[in-house]
Formats: sequence, C-alpha cells, structure tokens
Amino acid sequence: MNRSLIDLKHITKSFDGTMVLDDLSLTVKENSFVTLLGPSGCGKTTTLRIIGGFDMPDTGKVIFDGQDITQLPPNKRQLNTVFQKYALFTHMTIAENIAFGLKIKNKPKTYIDDKIKYALKLVNLDGYGDRSVDSLSGGQQQRIAIARAIVNEPRLLLLDEPLGALDLKLRQDMQYELIRLKNELGITFIYVTHDQEEALTMSDTIVVMNQGYIQQMGSPESIYNEPENAFVADFIGDSNIVPGIMLQDELVEIFGARFICVDKGFGTNKPVDVVIRPEDIDLVEPGTGTLSGVVTHLIFKGVHYEMEVTTPDGFEWLVHSTDLFPVGRKVDIHVDPFDIQIMNKPASEDEEAIGVNE
Amino acid sequence: MSKKLLSGPYILWMIGFTLIPLGLIFYYGMTDKTGAFTLANVLSIATAEHAKALWLSLGISLLSTCLCLLLAYPLAMILRAKGVGASGFIVFIFILPMWMNFLLRTLAWQTLLERSGVINGILTALHLPPQNLINTPGAIILGMVYNFLPFMVLPIYNVLAKIDDNTINAAKDLGANAFQTFWHILLPLSVPGIVSGINMVFVPALTTFVISNLLGGSKILLIGNVIEQEFTKGSNWNLGSGLSLVLMVFILISMALITKYDKNGEGNAF
Amino acid sequence: MKKRYGSLKQFFSDFYLVAVLIFLYVPILTMMVLSFNTSKSRTQWGGFTLRWYQQMLSDPGISSALYNTLLIAFLSALIACIIGTAASIAISSMKPVSATIVLGITNIPMLNADIVTGISLMLAFLAFGISLGFKTILISHITFNIPYVILSVMPKLKQTSKSTYEAALDLGAHPLYAFFKVVFPDILPGVLSGFLLAFTMSLDDFIITHFTRGAGINTLSTLIYSQVRRGIQPSMYALSTVIFLVVLTLLAISNYRPAPQKVRPGVDPAAAQTAAAREGKGRMPEKLQKGAMAIAAVLIVAAVGWVSVMKFLVTGSDELYVYNWGEYIDEEVIELFEEETGIHVTYDMFETNEEMYPIIEAGAVCYDVVCPSDYMIQKMVENDLLAEIDLKNIPNISQIDPTYLEMSRAFDPQNRFSVPYCWGTVGILYNTRRLEELGVEAPDSWSDLWDPALSGEILMQDSVRDAFMVALKDLGYSMNTTDVDELQQAKERLIQQKPLVQAYVIDQVRDKMIGGEAAVGVIYSGEMLYIQEEVEALKLDYDLEYVIPKEGTNLWLDSWVIPANAANKENAEKWIDFLCRPEIALRNFEYITYPTPNKGAFELLDEDLQANKALFPDIDSLEGSEVYRYLGDEDDGVYNALWKEVKSR
Repeated sequence: MNRSLIDLKHITKSFDGTMVLDDLSLTVKENSFVTLLGPSGCGKTTTLRIIGGFDMPDTGKVIFDGQDITQLPPNKRQLNTVFQKYALFTHMTIAENIAFGLKIKNKPKTYIDDKIKYALKLVNLDGYGDRSVDSLSGGQQQRIAIARAIVNEPRLLLLDEPLGALDLKLRQDMQYELIRLKNELGITFIYVTHDQEEALTMSDTIVVMNQGYIQQMGSPESIYNEPENAFVADFIGDSNIVPGIMLQDELVEIFGARFICVDKGFGTNKPVDVVIRPEDIDLVEPGTGTLSGVVTHLIFKGVHYEMEVTTPDGFEWLVHSTDLFPVGRKVDIHVDPFDIQIMNKPASEDEEAIGVNE
Repeated sequence: MSKKLLSGPYILWMIGFTLIPLGLIFYYGMTDKTGAFTLANVLSIATAEHAKALWLSLGISLLSTCLCLLLAYPLAMILRAKGVGASGFIVFIFILPMWMNFLLRTLAWQTLLERSGVINGILTALHLPPQNLINTPGAIILGMVYNFLPFMVLPIYNVLAKIDDNTINAAKDLGANAFQTFWHILLPLSVPGIVSGINMVFVPALTTFVISNLLGGSKILLIGNVIEQEFTKGSNWNLGSGLSLVLMVFILISMALITKYDKNGEGNAF
Repeated sequence: MKKRYGSLKQFFSDFYLVAVLIFLYVPILTMMVLSFNTSKSRTQWGGFTLRWYQQMLSDPGISSALYNTLLIAFLSALIACIIGTAASIAISSMKPVSATIVLGITNIPMLNADIVTGISLMLAFLAFGISLGFKTILISHITFNIPYVILSVMPKLKQTSKSTYEAALDLGAHPLYAFFKVVFPDILPGVLSGFLLAFTMSLDDFIITHFTRGAGINTLSTLIYSQVRRGIQPSMYALSTVIFLVVLTLLAISNYRPAPQKVRPGVDPAAAQTAAAREGKGRMPEKLQKGAMAIAAVLIVAAVGWVSVMKFLVTGSDELYVYNWGEYIDEEVIELFEEETGIHVTYDMFETNEEMYPIIEAGAVCYDVVCPSDYMIQKMVENDLLAEIDLKNIPNISQIDPTYLEMSRAFDPQNRFSVPYCWGTVGILYNTRRLEELGVEAPDSWSDLWDPALSGEILMQDSVRDAFMVALKDLGYSMNTTDVDELQQAKERLIQQKPLVQAYVIDQVRDKMIGGEAAVGVIYSGEMLYIQEEVEALKLDYDLEYVIPKEGTNLWLDSWVIPANAANKENAEKWIDFLCRPEIALRNFEYITYPTPNKGAFELLDEDLQANKALFPDIDSLEGSEVYRYLGDEDDGVYNALWKEVKSR
C-alpha cells in the first residue's frame, strides 16, 4: 500500500533553452491520488508528459515500480493517460475507441466486448457504443476518454486537466465521479490541474508547482492551512499576505499592531511575511480588536459576505464573514493566534522569482 | 435575401462558362459532322487504338499517382513534424516552382534526361554506362510525378497538420507502436487528404498531352494526345468531343469519391 | 541507443527533404544555367553569355507575352476574387442542398481535365460568336480561378462567428458597413490566399490558354509552346530566371520574421508550441497576402512600364493580320514593313497546317495573309477559303523563279491563289561519327531507316504525311496515293520501324541531332545551314551530313495566300509584294535559312551557298520527287486513322 509506484529523480527539462523543470524529484505512492497544481507554465504538464513517455527528460530518471523506464517509449509503459482535450479517435465509434488498446494487445473478442460493456457502465454511458464521437457532449467525451484508458487496467492513470473544458456543474459532477472511479478501481491517479478547488476536493496529496520547482507537497489540509511560502498561500484559496516583523517567538507586529501567534524560531526583529486567510479574520466593534479600519467594499456571496477593510496604512484586508458590516462602518480586526501563518521573506531576488508570482 | 443576390454573378458565370461549354462538348460528342445524332464518337473508344491509348493513360497515370502518394506521404509527415516553420517553408518549395513556366520545367527535364543530357553526362563522368532515359514511359511518369507532386503533398499535409499531437500520443499511450499508430490512426484520419490528392494528380495525369509529347518523344500515344490531335491536327471536333465525354466519366468518379470521403472539404490542397 | 535512433530518424527525414528539394529544383537550376549558355543547344555548353538577357529585353514578342501573362493573371485573379467572395457569402447562407449543388458545380473546372475545359470553352466562344483573343483567355482564366477563391474563402467564412456581424448590426451599423468592417477583415486572409493561388494558377496554365487564345495574342506559355518545335529561344530561360529570382526575393522578404519568440516563462511549453503552431498556421495567409500583393504589384508595374516603353504603337486604321509558321520570318522585316507602309502588323504563329486550317475555316479570327504548305493550299482552294491574289499588285512576282511557279501548279493550277515563300526537300540527316561507331554505312535510301543496327538511333517526323511519305517512297509508291492496299503496306512498314525509332518529333530533330542524340533523322533541308553553322560554332567532333534518298522525296513549297474573309486584302498584297523584294527575301533567307524561290535573292548569295546542294539541289535531278496534294477529307481520314494505329502500337 505504501510502496512508491513512481519515483522522479532529479529531472531537468528545457525547451528551446528555457528551463521548464529544474532538478525535480517526486515520489508517488501506490494507490494514491496525487494532484500537480500550479499556474500554466509551472511545469506540471511537462512532468506528466515525462511520466507518460511523451517527452524525454534532459537529465534524471523515471522509476516505475522499481524499474527505470526513462527510455521506454509510451506504448511500452504500464500506464495510461487521459488527455486535456480528450484526444478521441474521431474516425472510430465509441466502442472502437474503447477497444483500441485491447485490440493492439490482441485480446480475444469476447474479452474486449465484455470490457467495453463494463467500461461504458462504469462511466454511466451504457449503450453508447455504436455512436460516433462527434455526437457526444464534452462531458460524455471526457468519460469515454477515461473509459478508453481504464479498460487497459493500467497501474497508473495520468489525467491532464481533464475537466478544463467542462462547465462548472459538470465539472463538479465529474470530480465525484473520478473519486468514485479511483476507489472502485484501486488505480493510482496523477492529476494535473490549475484549479485549486479541484485539487483540494479530490486529492490525497497535492504538489504545488511554480516555474519548474515544487513549492510545497502535502495533504490538502496542510497545503491550505500551512502554506510554506507566499506563492502557495496566494495560489491556494484567497489570503491576505502582509509584511510583518517577528518581534520575538509567538509575537508579530503588523502595521504597528502586535498580534500573538504560535510560530517560533524566526529570531527577533526579523522581517517576515504573514498569511491570514480571509475567513480567519474576525471583525469586532471598534476598540475591541487589534487593528482598526473601515469597511470599504461589500459583496454578498451566498454562504458569506465578502468585505474589504482598509486600515490607516492603506492595506485592504479581504474578509469573509457571515456577519454583515455595511460600507463606511468602523471596525476592528481580530485574529486568533493559530490562524496566523508566519513565513520567511525571500532572501534573494532569485528566491523571490521562485516564490511569488507577480 | 440580399445575400442570395450575391451568388447571382457567380451562378450566371458558371452557367455561361462551365455548364454551357460542357453542354456543347456533349452536343459535339453526340453528333457527326453533319449534325446528326450518333454514338459513334463515344463508342470509338472501343477501337483498338483508342482503347489502347486509354489503357496506357490509365496505367501511366495510376502509376504516377501511386508514386506521388508514396513520395508525398512521408514528405507530409516530415513537414508536419517540422511544426511551426513548415507552412512558410511549404509555400517556398511547392508554390515557387509554379512561377516558372510548366512547359519550361518539363523541357528542362528533357535536357536532364537526354542521351547526351546532364544525367548521362554525370554517369559518363563516373565511368558508368549511359542510360536510355528519354522517350520512355518512365520519363513520362517522371514528368507527371514532378509536375503533380505538389498537388499530392499539400492536401495530405493540410489534413495531417490538423491532427492533434495528443491523438497520436493517445494511441501510443494505449500501447500502439509506431506502425500501429500510423495504420490505425494517422492513415484513416488522412483519408480526405489522400482522396483529394489522388484526384488532383490522377485527373491531370490521365488527360495531359504535353508531358507525353515532350518526354515521351511522341512515341507513346495517350488519350490526351488523341483528343488534342483530333482538335488541332485531325480537325475532327466531334470525335475529340466524344472522347472527352469518355474522360468525363473518370472525372465524375473522382467527384463522387470526394463527396464520399471528404465531405467537409478538409482535404483541400490550399 | 535511443537517442541515436532519434537522430538517425532525424537524419533520414532531413535527407529525404533535401532529396525532394533537389528533385523539385534541379530542372529550374538547369534552366538558369542554360540562360547563360552561348549555344542555343540545350545539351551543349558553348560558353558564358549575357546575350539572352539583352535579347529578352529587346524582344517585343517576349515583352508583350509577359505583359499579357501578368495582366491576365492579375485581372483574372482579381475578378475571380470579387465574384468568388460574393458567391462564398451567398453559399454560406444557402440551404444545405442548394449549397451542395453549387459547390459541386464549383468543383467542375478544378477537377475537369484541362483539355476538356479548354476545348469546351473554345467551342462555347465559337458558338456564341465571340472571337478568340485577350478577353476569351481572360474569361477562361476567371472560370478556372473562381473555384480556388471559393475554396480559400469558404473555410474562413465558416470560422467567422455570425454574432460579430449581428453585434455590428445591433450597434447600428448598416449591413454593408458591418460586412466591410467586421466580416471582411476576418475573411481577408482567405480572399488574399485565394488571390495568390488564382494568380499562380493563371500564370502556370498552358492547356486552357492554348485552346482559347486568338490572333496576335500570346502568353508566356503559348509563346514557349510555339517555340518548342523549333527549339526554345534561350531568352525564355533568361526571362524565367529573372521571374524566379524576383519571386524568390519577394517571398523571402515577405516570409522574413524575427528569430522565433522564446517561450515566455510562465507558459506551458507544450501549450506554447501548439499555440504557436496554431498561430503560425493562422498567420500564413497574412504572409501570403503581403507576398502576393508585393509580387503582383511589382511585376505588373514593371511589365506595364516595360511594355509602354517598348511599344511604339502605330496608330491608324491600317491593319494587317499575318498568320505564319513559328520563326518563319526575320522580325526586323516586319518592322521595316510597318515603317515603310505605316500598316500595323499583328503577327501570329501556328505550328502545323492542320492547326491553322480550322481557325481559318471557322473564321474565329480574320487573318489577312497566311502561309500554308502546298497540299493545304489545295484544300483551302477546294473549300473556297481563299481569295484570288491580284498579281498586278505584286510586281515583284517577277523575282520568283518560274520553276517554283511551275511547281505551284500541282496545288494551284493557275497560280491564282498563292505566291511561293520558301521551298525545300525532306531528307536524312546523319551523324558521321555515330554511324561509324555503329558500323553502318552512310544512308542513301529511305530503306536505310529500317536497318536494325540503327535501333533507337532514328528520329522520325511526327506528322502523318511526312511519316507516310517515307514509307511510301521506300515501297516505291506515290506519296499521294489513296490506294488502300498501298497505304496498308506503308502502315505495316511504319509499325515495323517503330521499335527502331527513338522519337517522333517535328522541328526538334535539328537540336537533337546537333546534340548528338541520334544517328539519323528525317529533316527539312532548310535546317541545314543552321546545323552546319552550329556544328562549327560548338566545335563538335562529329559531322552532320544531309542526303536526299535516291527513291525521291517530298518537294515542298510554303506560299502566301489571302483568306477569302480577309478584311485588309490590299495590305495583304502589299505584304506579299514586300516579301518578294530580293533584299527582303535575302534577309529572311539569312534568318530562317530555308531555300528561297526568289531568284533575285539567290543571285545575291555567296557562291558557296549557291553551290550548296543540300540547300539548292538541282530540281531536275530529283527523280521520283513529288509535291503533296490534298487528298480530300475522306482520304485524309484514312491517313489519320492509319497513323493513329502506328502511334498506338
């Protein structure tokens, strides 16, 4: 169960002189659902293509279940891919699409027929076998692409932004479908997306990438709650990232106000970045909080209100709250110590580049 | 309503300069010199000389078409693999020669192939025996392949270029090796281009009279030569029209093939 | 291992590309080299020269053909673009069924054989009474160009979303304004690439132009084709080289773009690549458009300028339409005639009598003076196509040696319709060294053309009567026989000879023999002077000798006649009289080198030439020689059918 299925060792890859992956190492455990998350251009798709065998790394190794498969062509790898735009074979029927991989492996006809039936049922498209690809909707095509991959019983399924082209409702349905499939089939999934919500919903492990580096890797909860740098914090969910000074352990000064926190070991009087999630900010009556400000913006979002609170230094705090504070109202900001996340400021410009995008 | 009017000039043009002229060919082909109805012109295709010319034309043009296809397909694949830069490149290599006159290009081949021509000059310099190249069916086929190759490459390239890389990756991913990927995916997907290319090579190759005159030394009589001679030398327009009608059967077959395999016009050469 | 495989594959694919490139461009390179060749021969290098470039610039025939070619290409592409774009818009809003029908008809000119399209248009023009000329070529080119435009525009039109047009209407734009401001820019790349395609196709066309052109108008294609028979003027290579280099330069400029953009950081490289590919494909037509526009504009401006400089148009109503064999006059003679008489000459050429005849018969083009051969003159007389020449208007007829007027009586019994221009014999030209190598004696009889030792070494004439003349004379029959049995024997004889024949050609015999392509060839005596000069100029290590076979041969005579429908008969008579002047006849003789029947001109010749028996044999000594007679349509049909049997064997 906890055996590693894929080991990427010191992978580098560049296209036309631009470094896309820089000394990337990654381990994926058997039967896990790993998501590679990051903005476009972060190298996540390239990582997937290297695992799939469509791109060769410049240096480094791809180990699959203990075997070096770096030089193995895609057709010899025990894994399958679901492509971004489905890449269905438009000149074949649905059944022929699904049967393709099995026919290549010369499986008997009865076996193939059974598999097609099973796969169509699995993706809830019973009886669609004789239809043409063009007659299906985007969501249906996506499910066929998944069916086409899983009939081959791969040990690893690579999914390259498979839901990117679908609308919101369909996307949410498919998310549940994918989780169900993974649990039913017991296959390891590596999933690529730039949608953080999708990543948080489905994965066991999220790998946040930016500019060819892994920024942070961990469970959805740890990624969300304890971002290790401003990039992760900014990319995962909304957050307020403000400059602060770590006065001493468990005490940080933000815009002249002192906040109690739980972080230690940053030294004294050290400039740091402070991350506070908008839902972790409590708005209280003036005089009862740590920092004062005025509500400058208000939107009703359904489950909560989204407000902007401007403090005298000009910073606009993003606040999610179920309580309503109308625009113009003076309020105080209060944050519980364990909701304050302290991060080191990037030391050099180079690190800055890795860290914060824009 | 007003949009429909836009097609007016075109439809008039087509009636005046495509349909009526074809009707005239039909009229001439179905009448004799006195204007009386006859099938003799069309049926004369069965006479030994005409039938032989037709078979020979069919054989030579079929062979040229196959050679064009065999040459063009790998070429289109290579150009596809070149990716971004290929389109401009293709304009260069295939459209450019057309700006040099077709007759001059063919004549240049005469210079190359002649007994004391360039190729034999090179062979002699290498102490190899000179070859009899000109005035053979081979020379005619070469001329056809040379002149019509672009019309095969362009439609196939256009279709291949439209195939998503991931479609090919998907096939490999599902276990297909290079040949299986080609056979099950690329080839069927490029059928519209192939059909269009075959048409654009086969029909002109079937009906040309210039290439066979210049490179075949007029020893080899193709159906195009027969028709041309009836119009310019034999002065028998009725017979020439009758034989043209026979040729049009093949053109109708081509059009039918195109409608069947290339409904969306994907395989257009340009 | 894997990497090596990859680079090996790369190597093969590059190798293949280069091989195809060589295949495509070797002929073009050959042409360029030939444009600098001093010798006119296509296979012999006579040294470097720029003379053909000078000739190209000073030849009005070439400049007007180029002008016509470019003007037709430009106008036909332009008009096709307008009609085709309008049609595409209409088609895209049609019901599927009617759209399919219209598109089906659209495909016809593109898929139809060029020869069928050309002939059908020619038939239509003649049926409608439209005389063949510039406008008929233009109409034909527009016809075959429209489909290319429609095929380029339709896909673009499909891509444009209807809602942008509707949005423009919604914002208060007039439909026309909305079209030109919103829809048109979207489909413009399609229109322009359609224009470029149409322009190219028009430029490259020969067959359709061949059938639909009329008097006095040549495009480059037809000019080249008319030169093929007598050997291409190297100035055509020079012109093609110039065109090629101009287009190459313009394309290179329009295709030039800065070094490929680096993939921006923050963009998935794979996505960037496909995006760039997409963009590249989308951009191509724009590049094409610039190229097309630049090329068209530059070429047309250049050509128009050139022609207006070259052409000193003679104004006035005095016109003369001349229809003559290709390269059968010194062009300066035409200029001299124009200068002297103030008559503007429209000069047109044909390659065979049989090609000329239906044009005169149909009256599609009204020529004033034509130069057919003996038997064809007889046919035209019999079919009342000729006007009687008023010999009073041709005082210089006295310069014509009476021998030839006597000869003319074979086809023009009272010398009423024709005035001799050139004459000659048909004989065998042989390569002395080649025959020695083959161990064959020099020929003196037609039967020598059946010597198996000459397999693949014989060039025969590619015309019915000349080919049958050889066989009939060999069999000892008259070359004017209509005896079916004799003709059958002659046919069998020709079939028997065919495996030995290298090629059936007409005027190319000359160049091929000079080039050493064959050991023997059947040739017209008039070529001899040129051949002997060329053998000397090229310092060839073999001699080419001419012999009139002992069985006798064809004595032929080309004479000027005036068609019955000539509009300028008096001018035609002035023309004939002018050509009969000894010094003019001499000029023409020096240019075309065919024996002249003009005794005044003969007397002006060097003694050497006068004594040249190949050129000027003693007619009395030509026992068994005959002049062709017209045999009637029916017997002509028999000859043609038998010849087709020979050719298809």
